[in-house]
Amino acid sequence: MYGLPWSLIITLVSGAALTGAACGLLGTFVVRLRLSSLGFTMSHAAFAGAALGLALGIEPLTLALVGAILTAAVLGPIAERAKLPADVITGVLFPLTMALGLIFLYLAPGTAMSSSALGLLWGSLFAMTREDLFRLLGLAGTIALTVWLFFKEFQALLFDRKLAEESGVPTRPFYYLILFLTGMTIALALRLVGGLLVFVLLQSPAATAFQFFYDLKKIFFWAALFGVIYAGAGLGLSFAFDLPLGSAIVLISTLGFGLAVWRSPKRRRT
Amino acid sequence: MADSIIELKNVSTVYEGERVPAIRDIDLTIESGEFVAIIGPNGAGKTTLLETINGLLPHTRGQVRVLGQDVARFGTQLRSQIGYVPQEFQFDETTPVLVRDVVLMGRYGRIGLFRRPTAEDYAQVQEALELLGLAELAERPLGKLSGGQQQKVLLARALAKEPKILLLDEPFSHLDCAAREEVAELITRWHRERSLTVLLVLHDLEAIPQSCHRVVLLNGGRIRHDGARERVVRAFTLAHRE
Ligand SMILES: Nc1ncnc2c1ncn2[C@@H]1O[C@H](COP(=O)(O)OP(=O)(O)O)[C@@H](O)[C@H]1O
Ligand SMILES: [Mg+2]
Repeated sequence: MYGLPWSLIITLVSGAALTGAACGLLGTFVVRLRLSSLGFTMSHAAFAGAALGLALGIEPLTLALVGAILTAAVLGPIAERAKLPADVITGVLFPLTMALGLIFLYLAPGTAMSSSALGLLWGSLFAMTREDLFRLLGLAGTIALTVWLFFKEFQALLFDRKLAEESGVPTRPFYYLILFLTGMTIALALRLVGGLLVFVLLQSPAATAFQFFYDLKKIFFWAALFGVIYAGAGLGLSFAFDLPLGSAIVLISTLGFGLAVWRSPKRRRT
Repeated sequence: MADSIIELKNVSTVYEGERVPAIRDIDLTIESGEFVAIIGPNGAGKTTLLETINGLLPHTRGQVRVLGQDVARFGTQLRSQIGYVPQEFQFDETTPVLVRDVVLMGRYGRIGLFRRPTAEDYAQVQEALELLGLAELAERPLGKLSGGQQQKVLLARALAKEPKILLLDEPFSHLDCAAREEVAELITRWHRERSLTVLLVLHDLEAIPQSCHRVVLLNGGRIRHDGARERVVRAFTLAHRE
């Protein structure tokens, strides 16, 4: 980080922390509701959308949002009723979104190899603006507030969907609320960690928290915290060894999750 | 008729993707405060009937009214007043809930949106836990209990809801003899003291509690007999002897 102005460092660190916290909170849902293949596909649809934006000269974030939300709208009902196995969704749609993304990048005039195009794939810290930071802050705040407001309903949904309905809690609106927020987060996080790796932050921190706790309040809290830690440590690693941020976060996340599985009290026979 | 707490008229329920109804042409009226046993062999449609009554399964024909309201329209609100213990449940070791939370969650529907559980809610939860002898397990993860203990937790959850109607789907299936009797007694007591309406699904004639006077016999998705306990039991035994 040597030689960087403090204001930039603060922006980067806060951006990483906010992305980590938002993804960690949402990841709790992604892990427990087994939405990971859906999230995976959404993140690539966001990438394709952003690439299309670059090709057409439209704000990439807008089309990334459209891509992610559209995927949620189309695949949500399919995933919700478990009509198609998750790996089928991923197997068919992941290559499609990836192919579209690359075609759009290819078509983008003069940007194919530019830093903004590569940033979509691998994440680029320096692409993050102050507006991005405020958007991330708004998003993380919205997610935290949503979880707080509807904690009961989310707890019921995450425990057992049928029993939630049995107790008189409607689950569908909350299921789609989660998909919608996940789409937003993926689209926003795209610039920070990249289309390929947003997904990791939606998975590892929450999966780590699930290794240690049974109490959902603690799981939410620690998932967010692990998200901050992974993203922050990834940022540090990326600076220290001049690695792409996304890859650095993946390295840290995998390491963290591996340690958690190894040390998990849930896996210890009592 | 205004008094009937549950009223099914010509009801059929078809599972999604199936063509044959799992229950068909069901006419069933249950008065407030009744204790009814529903019996029948495997696949008779007992579970389907219970889930049609509380609206977890949408019926495909006919009309289902519970507490005077249409289940197809007011299912969610109605379910907050109907206790239900499902026959099948599977909670793996990683299920992120503690026993106390599971029981409390039974009340979430009646607590309603934007509200937090109050002291009253926690008191009901504690009472239900104690009634089923689960007080010591309250802080344990649900997934680490035995099948019988989990079934008791679901019973406690249904009772903590202070329901007007209790639907029990083979609630003794995971319990040992002693626990079976205790639970049967508990249900009988709640039925009597709180004039609770109880529908108890069993596949076994022996297990019908003494206080249950009406029996509905289901087979092949239809009601074959419905009436006083002795008569239906006799008809059932005769049919099985042939
Ligand atoms: N999820 C399902 N999808 C399709 N058919 C089902 C489903 N569940 C039950 N059935 C069918 O509905 C009929 C009634 O089942 P069920 O109500 O579970 O019977 P019981 O509880 O009396 O054993 C059976 O023929 C069964 O095969
Ligand atoms: Mg059954």
